[in-house]
Amino acid sequence: MVDTTRNIKMYTTYGTKSAKPVQPKIAAKMISKAKRPLFVVSSIVLDEDLLKRAIPIANKTGMQIAATGTSIKGFLNEDVKAKYINIHALAAYLGDTGWNGLDGEGHYDLIIVLAHKKYYINQVLSGLKNFTDLTTLSIDRHYLQNASMSFGNLKPETHLEALDELIDNL
Amino acid sequence: MSEIRAGSFTIEELENVQITIGSIVGAIEKKAEDEGEMGPTPKPGIVDIREWDHKLLNRYEPVYTPMCDQCCYCTFGTCDLTGNKEGACGINMAAHQAREFLLRVITGAAAHAGHGRHLLHHLIKTHGADHPIDVGPTNIKAPVIQTVTGIKPETLGDLEPVLDYVEEQLTQLLATIHAGQEGAAIDFESKALHGGMIDHVGMEVSDIAQISCLGMPKADPEAPLAEIGMGTIDSKKPVLLCIGHNVAGVTYIMDYMDEHDLTDKIELAGLCCTAIDMTRYNMDAGGTPTAKIVGSLAKELKYIRSGIPDVIVVDEQCVRADVLQEAQALSIPVICTNEKIMYGLPNRSNDNVDDIINDLLSGREAGALVLDFDKIGELAPRLVMEIAPIRKAKGITALPTDEKFKELTNKCVHCLACEMACPMNLPISDAMTAAADGDLTPFEILHDKCIACGRCEQECPKDIDIVNVIEKASQKVIREEKGMMRAGRGQVSDPEIREEGVNLVLGTTPGIVAMVGCSNYPDGTKDLYDIAKEMLKRSYIVVVSGCTAMDLGMYKNEEGKTLYEEFSGSFLKGNLINVGSCVSNSHITATTIKVAAIFAQRNVTGNFEEIADYVTNRVGAVGIAWGAYSQKAASIGTGCTRLGIPVILGPHGSKYRRALIGKPYDSHKWSVFDARNGEEMAIPPAPDFLISTVDNAEEIMPILAKSCMRPTDNNMGRMIKLTHYIELSEKYLGVMPDDWHKFIRTETDLPLARRKDLLKILETEHGWEIDWKKKKILSGPTMKFDVSAQPTNFKRLCKEA
Ligand code: SF4
Ligand code: SF4
Ligand code: SF4
Repeated sequence: MVDTTRNIKMYTTYGTKSAKPVQPKIAAKMISKAKRPLFVVSSIVLDEDLLKRAIPIANKTGMQIAATGTSIKGFLNEDVKAKYINIHALAAYLGDTGWNGLDGEGHYDLIIVLAHKKYYINQVLSGLKNFTDLTTLSIDRHYLQNASMSFGNLKPETHLEALDELIDNL
Repeated sequence: MSEIRAGSFTIEELENVQITIGSIVGAIEKKAEDEGEMGPTPKPGIVDIREWDHKLLNRYEPVYTPMCDQCCYCTFGTCDLTGNKEGACGINMAAHQAREFLLRVITGAAAHAGHGRHLLHHLIKTHGADHPIDVGPTNIKAPVIQTVTGIKPETLGDLEPVLDYVEEQLTQLLATIHAGQEGAAIDFESKALHGGMIDHVGMEVSDIAQISCLGMPKADPEAPLAEIGMGTIDSKKPVLLCIGHNVAGVTYIMDYMDEHDLTDKIELAGLCCTAIDMTRYNMDAGGTPTAKIVGSLAKELKYIRSGIPDVIVVDEQCVRADVLQEAQALSIPVICTNEKIMYGLPNRSNDNVDDIINDLLSGREAGALVLDFDKIGELAPRLVMEIAPIRKAKGITALPTDEKFKELTNKCVHCLACEMACPMNLPISDAMTAAADGDLTPFEILHDKCIACGRCEQECPKDIDIVNVIEKASQKVIREEKGMMRAGRGQVSDPEIREEGVNLVLGTTPGIVAMVGCSNYPDGTKDLYDIAKEMLKRSYIVVVSGCTAMDLGMYKNEEGKTLYEEFSGSFLKGNLINVGSCVSNSHITATTIKVAAIFAQRNVTGNFEEIADYVTNRVGAVGIAWGAYSQKAASIGTGCTRLGIPVILGPHGSKYRRALIGKPYDSHKWSVFDARNGEEMAIPPAPDFLISTVDNAEEIMPILAKSCMRPTDNNMGRMIKLTHYIELSEKYLGVMPDDWHKFIRTETDLPLARRKDLLKILETEHGWEIDWKKKKILSGPTMKFDVSAQPTNFKRLCKEA
C-alpha cells in the first residue's frame, strides 16, 4: 500500500483553505460513489505510463473524460467517453449551473484531475474552490492545495503505484 | 479672465502686461470639432465607454482564478475571502479579484506611460516641441491617439496633452483601488478595460516620438536584419551590455562610439526591448545594425553569470532586482541611467567622468547612478575599454570549472526541493543524475525552458548554484545560439492597408495573428517559431513585437533561414511583421483602426466605441501573449480586448487571475443588430473568449483559426477560415472540432474539397436538410448569409434609430 498523504509541503500558499490529503483507496471510493463524476485530464497524460492508467480509470467507471490540452490524442481509439475541451473554458462552464455538461446530460458532482501542469491546474481549482460548490479531487503527482482533496507530493514511480492501487479499488 | 478660444488672434496696444503661455490646450481637438468630424467620446473618462464594456462583459463573462484567497490592502485585514466571502470593507472575492486585475493593468500602463513621458521630455528638449511626427507614408499618424482622444498630433508638442490625458486617467483609475471605492466586479472590469485602452495611447506616444526623432524605420517592410543570440556575441571584445526598455540614454553611447571610432572595437549587446530599439536606432535609411541582441529577460541572469559582459548599463522595466549584486560578484560595474532603477547607488550625475571611471575601475564603487545622457555616452564606452582587458585577463565567470561541475552534480541528494520551487517544476534532479553520469542532454534541454529565475537555488539544501550548473552543461548549445531578427518596422502604412484591408474584412486573408509577450513560456522558445510558421504557411499575417520577435528569430529551417529571412515583412497575407519593441504594440491595435478608417471610411476621431464595434465584427485578428509574465502584457492584452481583439495566453497567464470567456451554448449571447434595419442577426460563437489561456502550443493552433472568424466573412473567406480550423484541429488534436457546423451559413461556406462528406455529417449528425441533387443546404443553419449585412452591437448605429 502506498501512503499518498505524507508530503503536503507547499512552496507558496493560496490562503487558509487547503486540500485534505487523500489515500488511493478513499479516492477510489469517492469516484465510485459519485453520480456524475468528470475526469479532467491534460496533455501530460500522453506519457505512456500515465495513459495506461488513465484509460482504465475512465473505462472501469464509465465516466466522461474532459480531454483538455492535447490529451484527446491519447484516447482516440480507446473504449472511453472522451471529448476535447479547453480547460479555462471548462472552468467557466463548471461555474455555470445552467451548463448541461459535455454530454448534454447535466452538471457534475465530482471533478477528478490528472496529468496537468501544477501551476495551471491550481489556478483552475482556485476558481472552482472560490466560486462553485463542486468537490474536486486531485490524483496528480503534486499536492494541489486548491483541490478539496489531493494526493501529496509523490515521486513519479510512487505516483504510478498509487494510481494502480486506485484502479484496483474502483 | 475670459476664455480665449483656439485659433489665431491679434492683441493690439498692450502696455505693461506680461503674457505667459503655458501651453495651448485644445487647439487640435478644436480643429477636428470645427471640421465636423469629432466623434462622441474624445478623451473619454472612466464612465464614457462603459456601455461598450458592459456589452462585451455580458457576452464574455469574467472567470476568476485567484492567486491568493486573502486581501491585505488595509489594516481591517487580513481578510479571508475564500468562497467569495466579503471582507471587512464589504468587498467580495470576485470584486477583489477584478480590483487586483485592474491594478495589474494600470501598473503596466503606467510603466509604458512613464517611459513615454520620460522619452517625450527628453526628445522635446533635444529636438524641440515643433519637431514633426514622421512615421512613414500615412495620413493617420497616430490612429490610437486619434481614436481615443480626438487629437491628431502633428508635432512632438502635440503629444503632451495626450500624455496629460493618459496620466489623469491612470490617476483616477489608481484611486479606485483604494479601500472603500468600487464594489462591483463588473465596474472594476470596465475600469480595467479603460486602463488597457489608455495603455495603447501611452505606448503610441512613446513609439511615434522615438520613431520621429531617433531615425527608426518608418513603416519599412524591409527594415534591416539584426543578429540575435548568446552565440553571436564576440566575447573577445570588450562587451557592453544594456538592459531594459528605454533606449534614450543608450543612443548617446552609440553616438559616442561612432564618433570615437569604437563601434568595431566594442561589442554592444542588449537584453529586452532596449536591445530591439538599439537595432532600430538610425536605421531609417537602411544599413546593418551594429548592436546585437542577447535575448529576453530569461537570458538576463544566465548572461550575467557567464561573466562575459564587462560593463552593464540598465534603464527601466524587466530588469532583475539583483543585477547589482550579481554583477558585483563578478566585478562588472553597473551604470543606472534612469530614476526608475537606482539600486541605492550614489548619484554621480554631476561628477566628472574621469572620477567615476576611477571609482568603478578600482572597485571602490560597484556602480553609479548617472542621469546625464552626455556623460553616460562617454562613460560607458570608455569604462568598458579600460575594464575589459583586466576582467578578461582574470577570466572572471560564475560558471563552474569541469571539476567543480562534477563535484556539484554529485552533491545533489535528489530531495526535489528545487523542482517544487521551480515555477515550471522542471526535472532538475534527473538532469543532475544524468550529468553525473556524463550525459549533458537533459540539462541542455532544460537550458531553453529555464527562465533563470533562480528560485531553485534559494531552496537547495546543498547550496548548488543550479543555474550555473545548467549553463555550464549547455555551453555547446549556447555557442550555437545564433539567429536573426528583422528590426522593428513601426506602423503599417496606409498604402498597405488599402491593398490588404478588403481581404481581411471579407476573410480571404484568413486573419492577423499578433504575437506579443515574453519569457514565461510553458515549454521553451521553440513554440513561438512553430506557431508563427504554421500560421504563416497558411497565409495568416503574423505580427510580432518585443521578446517574442526576438525569440522566434532564434530558429532556422532546413536551409538555415530564420522566419524573417523566409517570409517577407509587408502587411500582406503570409508575411511576418516585426513592429518593434514593447511600446510598438500600439501599432497592432492601430492597424485594425486603420482598416476601419481607410478601408471602410469610418470616422475614427474621438470615436472609440464605433471603431471597437467595427473591429469586433469585421477584423479577424487574434493576439497571443505566449509567455505573458508582466503587468505590461496584462495591459497590452486588455487594450486589445476593449477593441474587440481576442487574446490567448500561455498557461502561466491563468495567474493574471481573470479571463473573459463566452458561453457558446447560450444562444442569446450570440446576436447583433443589422445596421441597415435594426433587426437582430445571429452571429457565430467566435471568438468564444476575449482573453483566455491554453495548455500548450498544439492546443492553440485550431483556436487561432477559429478566433479569426467574423460575422462579415464572405463565403470564400469563411470557407478558408473553416478549412484551417478543421485542418489544424485534425493535425494537432487528431479530431474534427465538434462545433464546426456552427459556422456554416450556406453550403458555399463548406471547405470545397470535403463538401460532400461534410454535408453528409450535417445531415446525419445534426439533422440538417440537404438537397443532394443540387448539393444545397435546405434547412439547419442558425445564421443567414447576407453579404451586405452591417453587423453592429449598437442600436443607435442602426438606420431606423
Ligand atoms: S480592503 Fe477590504 S477586504 Fe481588503 S483587507 Fe481591507 S477590509 Fe479586508
Ligand atoms: S534541491 Fe539541490 S539537492 Fe535537492 S534535488 Fe535539487 S539540486 Fe538536488
Ligand atoms: S532558475 Fe530555471 S530551473 Fe531554477 S527555478 Fe527558475 S526556471 Fe526553474
